[in-house]
Amino acid sequence: MRKLKSAALLCALSIPVAAQANCGEVSITEMNWASNTVVTNVATFIMEQGYGCDVTIVPSDTVPAVTSVAENGEPDIVTELWLNSAGEAYLRLEEQGKVERLGKVLDPGGVEGWWIPTYLAEEHPELKTIEGVMANPELVGGTFNNCPDGWGCRVVSDNLIRALDLEESGIDVFNHGSGETLASSMASAVQNEEPWFGYYWGPTVPLGKYDMTRVDLGEIKPDVHQKNQTQDVDNPGVSDFPAATILTSVTTDFKEREPEVADMLSKLTFKTETMSGILAWMDANNASGEEAAVYYLTNNSDEWSTWLNDSARERLANVLN
Amino acid sequence: MATYDSLFSSLGLEQWCSEGKSSGPMSMADLLNKNKGESAEPASIWELPFPSMDALNESCAAFPQSRELTKGLEQGFLAIKDSLSLVLDPLTQPLSWFLDGALYGMLNTPWWIVIPLLLAVVYVVTKSWKLMLFVGGSIVLLAFIDHYDYAMQTLAIIFVCAFLCVLLGVPIGIAMARSNSLQRMIIPVLDMLQTLPPFVYLIPLIFLFSVTESKLYGIAIILYAIVPVIRLTNLGIRLVDKDVIEAADAFGMTPRQKLYKVQIPLALPNIMAGVNQTIMMSLAMVVIASLVSAPGLGVLVLRGIRNLELGVGLVSGLGIVILAVILDRVTKASLARINVSQKQ
Repeated sequence: MRKLKSAALLCALSIPVAAQANCGEVSITEMNWASNTVVTNVATFIMEQGYGCDVTIVPSDTVPAVTSVAENGEPDIVTELWLNSAGEAYLRLEEQGKVERLGKVLDPGGVEGWWIPTYLAEEHPELKTIEGVMANPELVGGTFNNCPDGWGCRVVSDNLIRALDLEESGIDVFNHGSGETLASSMASAVQNEEPWFGYYWGPTVPLGKYDMTRVDLGEIKPDVHQKNQTQDVDNPGVSDFPAATILTSVTTDFKEREPEVADMLSKLTFKTETMSGILAWMDANNASGEEAAVYYLTNNSDEWSTWLNDSARERLANVLN
Repeated sequence: MATYDSLFSSLGLEQWCSEGKSSGPMSMADLLNKNKGESAEPASIWELPFPSMDALNESCAAFPQSRELTKGLEQGFLAIKDSLSLVLDPLTQPLSWFLDGALYGMLNTPWWIVIPLLLAVVYVVTKSWKLMLFVGGSIVLLAFIDHYDYAMQTLAIIFVCAFLCVLLGVPIGIAMARSNSLQRMIIPVLDMLQTLPPFVYLIPLIFLFSVTESKLYGIAIILYAIVPVIRLTNLGIRLVDKDVIEAADAFGMTPRQKLYKVQIPLALPNIMAGVNQTIMMSLAMVVIASLVSAPGLGVLVLRGIRNLELGVGLVSGLGIVILAVILDRVTKASLARINVSQKQ
């Protein structure tokens, strides 16, 4: 009993001391795409150096991360959560009060859509709208590069294809097996200056690296887009993709434990253009995600210094100035 | 001030170094040091960095960083890809035709022709009613749960790929068995094929061919699955009894007669074991092939994994297992028949 008491006393004593570094162990996800490596590394650097956290990076992917949070309450922080691909499962977690969204990590958000290379759009300006593409299927190579099975965008694109009657116009739909082949088909077409037409999203390395033009699918109708997200929906409509919401999300438990860090994470927002620029820089310099994070931290200190509290700003003074 | 400055100055290369371009991007370690307000100089011999390209680049800006190596490889590949695709594209085109033809044939023939035909083939190669009933039951089960089309796509791909593996693998194995130097050269290649992650060579292949070509997954499956049939053909021929070869020589057989009448028949059990393994390994590649757009049960497995539809994943995974059991039993049974006929 005495031991327990003294331990409690020690804890009580250590609280004022720890005020400077009052952050314990934190786990944060690192998703398997480039922009997320940057976000995770920037957040990790600030948490470790500014707030004295002991950060563990957990390599993951959207669906596994959400499942893990649901089942085990770990990891603490899910970065760059695309709401449209996390889906129902995530919203249910929010309802149960297990997780809390802190803020948009990308502003205005992710760009989704159907794209053609810009050289193609310059040569044939009529291809900038879906009507133009459907009137001249041979100019875009006669193929639509569709999302892999099991992706959120696949359902939407499939419904759009039915609504537009894309295949009637002479465009074959090619269903990719994975994101890797989708990206490399775009890359190889652009390398050879060949026509290409398909779905892609940003900010990503390919969209930062290659100059692509978005094909206008018409108006953005939120209710139609919502309806298109259900597989094989009756009478799908045509609506362009709205900007995708991308969140930083933490477990409720974590927010109670580390309010200071959570406050910083809620302010952690990148401009979508800044992120595209970083990704393009990353590719041009053959840099790793970690180096890209350093590039961001050294060049945009006025932006990220506003996320910090005073003590963290003090501890990071050497980098900030 | 970096660790290996003295090395370059003692070699008299300072001039060359200072002409070099500035070093690469700042690393996280540099930033951490900057935050602590320290220089990056290592304090003791314990922290001596290995003289790697990056460490040498810190002392001498003209020395290339290791990222130049990967960049160089990429640019080299992009430079030769046009001439490469000129050679490889027509060479591999028949594979696309075979795969597309097999898929078309399998899917557009009505089920009441395909299933009896498959069962007839099973009976002819195994002469076992029991096995035929088992195969029939399995296929009917798959068809009953609406997985018939997917299973037939997978089966068509495996038939084509396994057939081509045998067609190419057996001659390679025979050539290997006849020449020790060829064997020394091919074995490292086989080791590489079995261990190299498929995406490492599949992504460059997309730059050579169109991604919509079915040969892409055909190549992935064949490169992985051809290994056992080559290895076991080589082994089987090398294991043929020396006395038998001597007897064949004594009868004055030509090398060709020796190969067809003595070595291959005696090596057949081993070759068939290789064929069995090849079929099983091509089935193992079904899911990976689906990542490069192969149709079939692999697509369902991927969908199950990605959407956390556990039921879909389990059912299609079990479908692959059923196909594996069928193919394994049938090839094993025909292998047993060959063994029995040889003993007589």
